[in-house]
Amino acid sequence: MNQPRGSSLRSFAAKLRGFLRGHQNDPEFEEEIHEHLQLLVQRFLAQGMSREEARTAARRQFGNTTSLQEDRRELQTLLSIEALWHDLRYALRTLWKSRGFAAVSIATLGLGISAATAIFSVVENVMLSPFPYKDARRMVFPRIHNTQQSQDGGRQGYTATEFLEFAAGNHVFDGIVAATDDPVLYKQGEGTEEFDGARVTPGTFEFFGMPALYGRVLQPSDYEPGAPPVFVMRHKTWVERFNGDSSMLNKTFVLNGIPRTLIGIMPPRFAWYGADVFLPEKPRVAEPGAADAREYWFVLGRLKPGASIQQAQADLTVIANRLARVHPQDYPPRFTVEIRKLGDTVVGRIAATLYTVLAAVGLLLLIACSNVANLMLARATSREKEFSLRALLGAGRARIVRLLTAESLVLAMAGAMLGVLLAWGGLKALVAAMPQDTIPSESVIELNAPVLMFTLCVAALTALIFGLAPALQSFRRDLNDTVRESGKGMSGGFRGKWMRDAVVVMEVALSLALLIGAGLLMRSFVTLRQVRLGLRTDHVFQTVLLLPEDRYKTAEQATQFFRPLFARLKALPGVVDAAACSALPPSGGAESRVEVAGKTHDEEWQTLFQYVSEGYFRVLRVELQAGRVFTEAEVNDARKVAVVNETFARKYLPNENPIGRRVRLARLETAAEPVRDAWFEITGVLADVTNRGLQTPIEPEAWVPYTIAGSEAQVLLVRTSQDPGTIINPVRQAVWGTDSGVPLGYSGTLEERIGEGLYAGPRFGVVLMVIFACVGLVLVTVGVYSVLAYSTAQRTHEIGIRMALGAAGDDVLRMVVKTGVRLVVAGTAIGIGVSLVLGRLMGTQLVGVTAYDPATLATTTLLLMMTAAVACWIPARRASRVDPMVALRYE
Amino acid sequence: MVKDRKGTELSADTRKSEVLQGTLDLMILKTLHALGPLHGFGIARRIEQVSRDVLQLNEGTVYTSLLRLQQQGWIAAEWGTSENNRKAKFYSITERGQKQLELETENWERISGVIARVLRLQEEK
Repeated sequence: MNQPRGSSLRSFAAKLRGFLRGHQNDPEFEEEIHEHLQLLVQRFLAQGMSREEARTAARRQFGNTTSLQEDRRELQTLLSIEALWHDLRYALRTLWKSRGFAAVSIATLGLGISAATAIFSVVENVMLSPFPYKDARRMVFPRIHNTQQSQDGGRQGYTATEFLEFAAGNHVFDGIVAATDDPVLYKQGEGTEEFDGARVTPGTFEFFGMPALYGRVLQPSDYEPGAPPVFVMRHKTWVERFNGDSSMLNKTFVLNGIPRTLIGIMPPRFAWYGADVFLPEKPRVAEPGAADAREYWFVLGRLKPGASIQQAQADLTVIANRLARVHPQDYPPRFTVEIRKLGDTVVGRIAATLYTVLAAVGLLLLIACSNVANLMLARATSREKEFSLRALLGAGRARIVRLLTAESLVLAMAGAMLGVLLAWGGLKALVAAMPQDTIPSESVIELNAPVLMFTLCVAALTALIFGLAPALQSFRRDLNDTVRESGKGMSGGFRGKWMRDAVVVMEVALSLALLIGAGLLMRSFVTLRQVRLGLRTDHVFQTVLLLPEDRYKTAEQATQFFRPLFARLKALPGVVDAAACSALPPSGGAESRVEVAGKTHDEEWQTLFQYVSEGYFRVLRVELQAGRVFTEAEVNDARKVAVVNETFARKYLPNENPIGRRVRLARLETAAEPVRDAWFEITGVLADVTNRGLQTPIEPEAWVPYTIAGSEAQVLLVRTSQDPGTIINPVRQAVWGTDSGVPLGYSGTLEERIGEGLYAGPRFGVVLMVIFACVGLVLVTVGVYSVLAYSTAQRTHEIGIRMALGAAGDDVLRMVVKTGVRLVVAGTAIGIGVSLVLGRLMGTQLVGVTAYDPATLATTTLLLMMTAAVACWIPARRASRVDPMVALRYE
Repeated sequence: MVKDRKGTELSADTRKSEVLQGTLDLMILKTLHALGPLHGFGIARRIEQVSRDVLQLNEGTVYTSLLRLQQQGWIAAEWGTSENNRKAKFYSITERGQKQLELETENWERISGVIARVLRLQEEK
């Protein structure tokens, strides 16, 4: 029956009442049935039947009372489990019958949902709950910001005195702890290794609320004077350095000369302060001028529940102002105390990017939904007969909507399952490509319970979005519509058509913008990889030697270590050459003011400089352009000679012969071990070597013998003839053979390090963009296809007439393709426009390619057009094969 | 293949009554409109009387129909006493029910007219 709008609401209310009442039996109804049966029996008795016969006849005439009860219950309830089960089974069966449709829909949804799941997983694990600590959201740290400084940031290290003042004087924290760096050297076998140690204040582990994985954490008694020295280790360190050997526990290590017992190993996600080992220390007010007076602590407080950032800021400002009066040298004349949340520094950098990406992914998901909605509409058109028949047979409209909803739900859930699978794989790739230090070390990106809940909600929401359109359409149609309306093309309505076209245009535009973005980033990345570094990174092993400060103060001491070390290294099989320098390539070292003899200039001249041994130029195979590099003898004698790069020569000595000129590196005169009269004679000019990353122009640079200054040169470079990754152990033996008290850190191949430092960030951008662009392209294909399939399905009648009137298959093909191409062209135009606007924003990330790069624009547009053409062609070909007889007989 | 919502195929008999069910609501509305308040048994008798030998009615389905009409607010029900002094629920058509009846009658006539024409077409072929 035709149901006006209000009445469906009313029956819904009735059902709701029934639902709330529950499934109890209805005594009134039973009485009514009983009466009816009694009257029937009496009637049959009057006709002369026996009582038995009359009763049977009455029951036959009345029908099955059980199914009647069921019908009644169904009318009175919102959802009957049984009916739901039937609906689901029916949905599965019908979807199985149209496997192609189901597969395309599930794949589309799966793509959309997987992108959303993966990115939400990153957002959840990196931004919403990155820290495994108790009440991590209330953990904050103060920062003294110099208001006369324009850039962000400020002092985050505090003296023990300051920390104790904060701890005692604040009214906003219910817990406060601090940690300070303590490089820990320990004897390991025949040599020495280094831990990133942290000394932590009492209550640190209680503050974070994490128990040890093995053993125990530091307790108040461990901080007492005279307590046996102990320490706690981070999980990662335990696994990487000690292979997770559980016999390590309770062993004694000599750390910085003091035997300490390892009492606990923390769980994997405990990464406070990024330290390897945690040593107990009670900070105390230092004597003025004492060695530890300049020790800085990082302070972390936990806000009392309800205390705001502003309150904390006001409270700590009072304390800081008091401290500034006593220690004016530690505070800028004008400052504010900034309160930052734990993780802000790391997360803040990627927050904007992540939210942008999440928005983009949401858009992709919407597109996926509208695609599936279109596919369902197309299918609903061909199922009109089925639905009319159902309606004619008494299936209520609600029933049909429920069938459709069940189908949508099945599709969405299958899509969600596929999506989770894809997201699981995608996340692995994503995490692998993610540059180091972009996320807090505590966070683990995984598909956890909140993420799966999110996926489930998204799937249910998508089912609602894409299931609504066909369901609504079936609402509009009624029993006699199909009979009354002979023109099928009209039933979809023009309003719907406009919407669908707009969606396709938007899809094409977005997809093209993504493609262009991905193309530009890719080209930029290729250019980046082709940038000449100016040095050969292959077959070079590098490590940092942490020379103990007490024994390595003077240049002489350093030389006495390096000379025999180089000899040992060169004697190793597979080693070609070895060198020391003060900066890790391709970074150019420290900056200095520079003067050139015979040159006067108003502005300040700057140059980068580093200390190197004579082997440096051979190990890195840098190219000499003029003159010569310094000799071993010059280095041994600590002669004041220098080699400069091409940029230095061009900038400060243009059109002159730089060889033999003298330059002054002012910085050296104020170094820890000052060099008197720091004038150097230039002996040679090197071809430019990248010294400030790939995207900044090369700066002037100078190289001077490492024997000039104390223990500045701590980077050891070894050129090998074999895989440099395998040389670490022999190198370690050589170092320890020279001085067993020198630990090695940051060991690895130069190629890996440069790859991580220079290429990981851009590569991650490329990976992300390419993934999204591919998803976009697939979705746009499905989108164009589904809209055309729908409109051609609706126009079957019209096409039939055209063909009956003499149109050839090719004419129809052309007509349909034209419809599709019109949408694609409109979308392409908008997409190019959008990406030209966005290009300005991307400009800073691009190297060697402009945002308007015609080759990229042309290639991506062509790619999109070709893909869209295929998507147009399939429904067009189907339409061109319409048999006019069949098409017309539908009437 | 015609199937009901439970997915089982329908026999010829049940199909007949199912076809009826779609229009049963309309018939009940019309009956109440013509005869005034009636109880379920009375409605069943009236339909039987009018359609004897043509439709086979499972009288129980009348009650499902009545509940549906009640939920739509097209009929109202109240307890009263039947002609032989027994307690019975009497159904009467509401004002909105009257309007719905007019609408449905018009629709029905149009559909049946079209179907009749279509069927004649097929016979001529």
